[in-house]
Amino acid sequence: MIRILIVDDHPAMRAGLIAVLRAEPGFVPLDAAHSDRDLWPMLNRTRPDVVVLDYHLPGDDGLVLCRRIKRQMPAPAVLLYSAHADAALTIPARLAGVDGLVSKSAPANELYDAIRRVARGERVLPPISRELLDDAGNRLKSDELPILGMTIEDTPLLDIAATLGIAPAEVAHRIDRMIKRLKIEIPAPHSAG
Amino acid sequence: MTSRWMTLLLMTRLLAAAVAVLLLLVHRVTPHDPVLIAAGVAYTAGSLLVLTTVPRLQLSPAAWLVDGAAALALVVASEDWRSPFYVLMLTALILPSTGLPFRRALGWGLAFTLAYLGVAVSTELDADTLESTIRLETIATHLMVPLVVVLALAYAADVLARLRDERLRSERLAVESERQRIAWELHDSAKQRVHAAHLVLSALQNQVDGAGAQLVSHALAELRAAGADMDTSVAELRMPLEGRSVQRLLEERAAELAPVSEAQINVRGTVGELPAHIAAHVYRIGAEALTNAVRHGEAEHVDVMLARNGSTATIEVRDDGRGLPAIRRPGSNGLRSMRARADTIGATLSLGPGDGGRGTSVVLSWRTDSDEGSSQA
Repeated sequence: MIRILIVDDHPAMRAGLIAVLRAEPGFVPLDAAHSDRDLWPMLNRTRPDVVVLDYHLPGDDGLVLCRRIKRQMPAPAVLLYSAHADAALTIPARLAGVDGLVSKSAPANELYDAIRRVARGERVLPPISRELLDDAGNRLKSDELPILGMTIEDTPLLDIAATLGIAPAEVAHRIDRMIKRLKIEIPAPHSAG
Repeated sequence: MTSRWMTLLLMTRLLAAAVAVLLLLVHRVTPHDPVLIAAGVAYTAGSLLVLTTVPRLQLSPAAWLVDGAAALALVVASEDWRSPFYVLMLTALILPSTGLPFRRALGWGLAFTLAYLGVAVSTELDADTLESTIRLETIATHLMVPLVVVLALAYAADVLARLRDERLRSERLAVESERQRIAWELHDSAKQRVHAAHLVLSALQNQVDGAGAQLVSHALAELRAAGADMDTSVAELRMPLEGRSVQRLLEERAAELAPVSEAQINVRGTVGELPAHIAAHVYRIGAEALTNAVRHGEAEHVDVMLARNGSTATIEVRDDGRGLPAIRRPGSNGLRSMRARADTIGATLSLGPGDGGRGTSVVLSWRTDSDEGSSQA
């Protein structure tokens, strides 16, 4: 049984997700938050296995929220559920500790599958291509590149801090900064996507 | 704008001509008054006729020059600077004062006044005049009036032009903010509902079979197409294509991508005129394919070829990069939205390896003679 918490700012999406997840055997949708403000009490109350998290939210976006969710002990798996699930989001998502990325236009089966896999501890992210890495490398400072490399290789935060000889809090701070810098998309076609 | 000043010219010139004719009839001015009357009437009728039938001349400095010179000639012919044609002459200032920018209009007025002074000197302005206070005052007034007329008209025209610009600007702003509001509602509300409906319906797909499953998959396709329509509408509202051709838009997109890409991008050919909503979808499919080629393809060359062959139009985006991934990337909705867009305009989208199995080729083709492509596939 997989216990799921939903975060989405649109009521139709919250209701739809709850209905769809309730209909699938093995899933228990616990509750749905519409912003980070009602997320924290819900998270403490329900202790979910998986958080299905919208990317575009009023206030802090999904990546920032994911960082904070992942600081919980024990941390739930986080599935970023976005209308803009683009490969370009892969690296910032990885840095933010996102376990899976699913497009809002994907059919329910894809969502079910992704939830089951992240609940098992798998990762459901697009592979990081050389192009994406090059692009990220161009936008990051040279002293941030080792952090990127180690994060992609799943090095624990404490080991990164020890390797670089800096405080873990400083590593976390740098990762926040890197996410912010990488979130800037290369120009989208005249389109909202 | 011009028509307002043309009306003013029409009224004042007719009135001034009537006054001149009356003055000539009542007072004997020269020995050849009948000829003067005929010349005045001919000038008035001729100039007004030409200016109204060829509106282009209303803004032509050459026409103003001829008109002004003819008016001054009437004054010369009346052999006195206090001519019955004086007011008629002033009407020649209306079009230049209102048609020129403010400073140049003043320059024109000054030049005209000097020309009039020249006429005055050549007629009866002599030492006697300069000794008589009253006559001196009269010549000063006659010289001042053209300047005042030009100043007043140029100022009025300038204020009117600014008002019009301001009104256009605020109308544009109002339209702009309305567009943003509609785009926001489409994107943040309607689109989310479509996503939710699609999700719920796709969950149902597992539970029905046979004819039911077909109906569900048909509804899902419709919802995806609705989503694509909304995306294009949102994009159109945020960044209107404003009737630019698909080729031009793709060239602009290529120029936008050039700084972030190492690939050489070429856009060639044309698909001709397209109905607006077809053009919007076609451009966005092309732009997405182009962006994908640049972003993920590790390509050195990207060629965008547009062609129209009879009633079939095609756009091919070909690159020599990595090629299509063997397994579809999870979470990639770029291809999905391209397909949905192609569906809404009844176009065919095919993806495959490029020449010799290298790179990727994306081909979009559609019939240009179908009923505006509004077919629902």
